[in-house]
Amino acid sequence: MEDWRRIDIDAFDPESGRLTAADLIPPNQAQVTLQELQPKIQQIRSMSTSGDMISAIQLATSDPPYGADDSTKAQYLQAVLEALGQTRQADISNIIKQLSPKQHDVLIKYLYKGMSVPEGQKQGGILLSWFEKLTQEAGVNPVVHYLSDRRTV
Amino acid sequence: MLHLRSHNLLIQKTLSEAYEANEKGAPLTLDRIVSDFDYTTFHITNTPDNKVILWVSIRTKAWQSVLQCDPNNGLVSFLQSKYANAAGVSVSNNTEPGYDFTLQIDLNALNQDSIVQVSLLKTMVLSFPFHLAFQEFAQLCTLPIPEDGSSIDSKTLYAIQHRDDEQFFIKASNDRITVIFETVFQDETDKVLGKVFLQEFVDARKRNRSIQSAPQVLVSHEPPLELQNQKTTRNVQADSSRRFITFVLFPRHFQTEELQFSSVSQLTLFRNYFHYHIKCSKAYMHSRMRFRVDTFVKVLNRAKVDDEEEDNESETQQHTRRTITGRKMVY
Amino acid sequence: MSQSLRPYLTAVRYSLEAALTLSNFSSQEVERHNRPEIEVGNTSAELLLQPMHVSRNENEQVLIETSVNSVRVNIKVKQADEIEQILVHKFTRFLEQRAESFHILRRTPIAGYSISFLITNKHTETMKTSKLVDFIIEFMEEVDKEISEMKLFLNARARFVAEAYLGEFVY
Repeated sequence: MEDWRRIDIDAFDPESGRLTAADLIPPNQAQVTLQELQPKIQQIRSMSTSGDMISAIQLATSDPPYGADDSTKAQYLQAVLEALGQTRQADISNIIKQLSPKQHDVLIKYLYKGMSVPEGQKQGGILLSWFEKLTQEAGVNPVVHYLSDRRTV
Repeated sequence: MLHLRSHNLLIQKTLSEAYEANEKGAPLTLDRIVSDFDYTTFHITNTPDNKVILWVSIRTKAWQSVLQCDPNNGLVSFLQSKYANAAGVSVSNNTEPGYDFTLQIDLNALNQDSIVQVSLLKTMVLSFPFHLAFQEFAQLCTLPIPEDGSSIDSKTLYAIQHRDDEQFFIKASNDRITVIFETVFQDETDKVLGKVFLQEFVDARKRNRSIQSAPQVLVSHEPPLELQNQKTTRNVQADSSRRFITFVLFPRHFQTEELQFSSVSQLTLFRNYFHYHIKCSKAYMHSRMRFRVDTFVKVLNRAKVDDEEEDNESETQQHTRRTITGRKMVY
Repeated sequence: MSQSLRPYLTAVRYSLEAALTLSNFSSQEVERHNRPEIEVGNTSAELLLQPMHVSRNENEQVLIETSVNSVRVNIKVKQADEIEQILVHKFTRFLEQRAESFHILRRTPIAGYSISFLITNKHTETMKTSKLVDFIIEFMEEVDKEISEMKLFLNARARFVAEAYLGEFVY
């Protein structure tokens, strides 16, 4: 090893008291598997295809799968992105008005998450207009909640 | 400065100075080295025994290849004929060591016109292969036109190596003369900017009606057909930074002596003109960015809380402790 | 302002406003050090907050990484073609070489982005947060404008130069 001087030996010390990202995930989360989540994903999809956007978004933003693994979260995100993308511009602010503050917090998580993946970046415009309407309704609050919330979607 | 001039300003100035000094009866002692584009150097010096006689020597990268263009070694006699009518200028028989060609100048017989002629020396050297091509064109013209209407191409391709890694080629046909420049971009940025510029060269003629009679310009990455089965292309690799620019001169561009001269002096400067303007745009963008940085700094400085004036000194003194070296303590 | 630029900038503005609540925080690893925690990753994950991605499309993105005492703002400037790439590269390099007069500019961008800013609690203490946000927003607007203006200029210049050269052959 050439750069042994640069090795961070504290990282190997179990007593160092350092926290990694994994340590920060809130405990006691309900573990959700893909099978358990599949019906909900289906429901969101069918609601959004039938045009019932309000129910679709409300369902998507209540009780999101915080305790699922990454691939399950990605599948769920995909369904949410589809629902968000299918909503008409004019309806967005109406839907947001009917969401509770808790649901606002969840919604913004999906917006940020969506904009960090290539599928969401392709429809960046629509996510940005959701973002704009959301901040018009709820101000900076959901953003602050997002920043400090360790439960990821 | 939009156009590059084909004469060398420094030579012109030096000779004018020498001429004026000689008029006043006090000839200058000269030993000047003047440079020009494409590794060309001029040396202007007095002859050892007579201050009134000057030697102007030229050394240029292109000399060897220009010399080889004509199997009959006509270059020196060509230059001789060019300077035959210039008053006070004659071709020296002894070429200065280290240089390719030397002109002898008699300050007593010199006039303004021949000063200009001398300062065009580099263009004169480079115009020799063009001169050959014009002659060849005149010959090909007299041949009967083939029945299928195709053009008769000359067998010879004049290759002039004017820089280490770049050449240009001239080929005569019975209805046109083709001049092909090969250019290399050393810098990635130059390459992209060059692409924009070259595209405009190609399009300019189509777009602007007033210059429709200008030569046709073609640009390619690959050596054009004219070069492909020539031995001279041995060192022409089609690497990515190489471009070939083809100018197609029609008879209207070289009908008379004057037209020939102005076309040739423009063409010999093409490479310099082209690269010069790429550098110019870079310089402009640089100054533009400098200005933009200033405006950004101004915007950022608006954010500063101007506490320098109003804050009472004593209070801040108490809060920041300093070490003996004046360093601020950080908590 | 174009239709999708406004929501983009609004989103960046809100994200920055939320992120720029910094406090002085001494290093918990090294005594008497006070360093921007966002730059010394892998040591204390609890000091880092959720990163915020705001993207208009694949080519225009902002990543805001927040920690307890510092925020890193990474901007990816639109680069539609080779020329814009070069112009953006030149322009950001030019700025970065003058980073000392910009205070908050980071000398190298993080991988995948064109330019990065690093705002620490020292900056928010000496500057008005709202004006800092204004600066970033204005910067994003101006850079786009500047790049496209430079590109237009380059084309115009090339055209002029080519026509002037070929014009010499017209008799």
